[in-house]
Amino acid sequence: MDKKEYFDKEYMPSMNRIGVITGFLGVLASFAPALVLAVVYGILPRPAALVTAFISAASTFGILWFVEPVSYFAVLGPVGTYMAFLSGNISNMRVPCASMAQVSAGVQPGTEEGSIISTLGMAVSIVLNISILTIGVILGSSVLSMLPDSVREGLNYLLPALFGALLVQFGIKQKGLASTILVYAVLLSAAIKAGIFSWLPGASNYLGILTSVFLSIIIAVVTYKKVK
Amino acid sequence: MAVMDMANSLPMWLACGLAVALVLAQAIIFALHAYKAGQKMGLSESQMKRAVKSSAITSIGPSIVILSGMLSLLITVGAPMAWMRLSFIGSVMFESIAAGFGTSSVGVQLGADEMTELAFCMAVWTMILGSVGWIIFATFSAGRMDKVQKKLAKGDPVMLSTIAGAAIVGSFAALSSTHLVSLNKNSLACVLGGVIMAVMIFITEKFQVKWLKEWALTFSILGSMIITVLV
Repeated sequence: MDKKEYFDKEYMPSMNRIGVITGFLGVLASFAPALVLAVVYGILPRPAALVTAFISAASTFGILWFVEPVSYFAVLGPVGTYMAFLSGNISNMRVPCASMAQVSAGVQPGTEEGSIISTLGMAVSIVLNISILTIGVILGSSVLSMLPDSVREGLNYLLPALFGALLVQFGIKQKGLASTILVYAVLLSAAIKAGIFSWLPGASNYLGILTSVFLSIIIAVVTYKKVK
Repeated sequence: MAVMDMANSLPMWLACGLAVALVLAQAIIFALHAYKAGQKMGLSESQMKRAVKSSAITSIGPSIVILSGMLSLLITVGAPMAWMRLSFIGSVMFESIAAGFGTSSVGVQLGADEMTELAFCMAVWTMILGSVGWIIFATFSAGRMDKVQKKLAKGDPVMLSTIAGAAIVGSFAALSSTHLVSLNKNSLACVLGGVIMAVMIFITEKFQVKWLKEWALTFSILGSMIITVLV
């Protein structure tokens, strides 16, 4: 069978299967600590209080459960979505690593090759992230306290620098789109900061990414169709 | 038994270790499948190696940032939980807020009051229940959204690529914008990151410096961090 058929008829179905199974196991595994507390230490949560706590958490983050997978899907692809939403740290690790992997391999995002490379990139980021966390948890807080203050200050600037650099890396080939979306995003962020969207709970968490991503897609698709 | 002893006990380590092992297993299984598929689809060894290398380099910095978040989280919920929760979906911000909701539902202020066994248990359950929503919805929607996206693009690969490329630009624009509007050193770092990257790209293209392409991001981030600290 040819490449595309192989990808669509063999590779993706098995990846979807793996994703669903590991996602399901992930939900179960999440409860492992709670199980230990109940079985080993005999401690159970207080039901009424748990409902209260859950409602607080759901009203603060519930929207994100639905909005984030949708916002990031076009960037992550289906396999990337399975991986990113199990392992977390999506905007600061998974998306940057997956995109950079595609750039280094010289493949286009959104293609079959792009999906494969992005999967490799994400897997590497997960393994490395967990390794560093594991080493860190074994060595303890002494690790970070050994770093000089200036290095610790510098770490605060890593994420803004990362995002700025990646924006340029990917925007430079589509300067018009990138600058338009950046202007939009900045104005929106300023508006959110000024409290214009305070009627929308938790807006600062998702409104920016959700609308910027979809606006960007719409502009790009409309432009592409016109050029065709 | 003292609460933090319980939080840091062997059974907790084993339970959390099991969960972390699952995340690793998923990543490795997906990677092996992707690698095999890559060979079948005509991707070269060197392409895939470059992908792995650049992803590894890119993930070091953010991993250290996440590490420092974990070290602060472990003060309140113990090392096993902090280690596991940050290897799973849920940022430091989410975990601390969720844990706080859990403890305050039984009258304990996270970090301020002394942690009780019940409060710790409530924190654990709240962190879990608050985060599985992401896993459930993402797992459920991944396959379906793939179909929706393919339908919208009517199978045109350039269109799919355009959508993905636009989404990437949109994400980083949004993520950068929050730092840009805060009008502090973060904004400077963000701008510098972009500027240095632009310079790197210019040099790479003008002088055909191939290796710079892989290191451009690292240099941009380091350069920006260093300059911002010194300013």
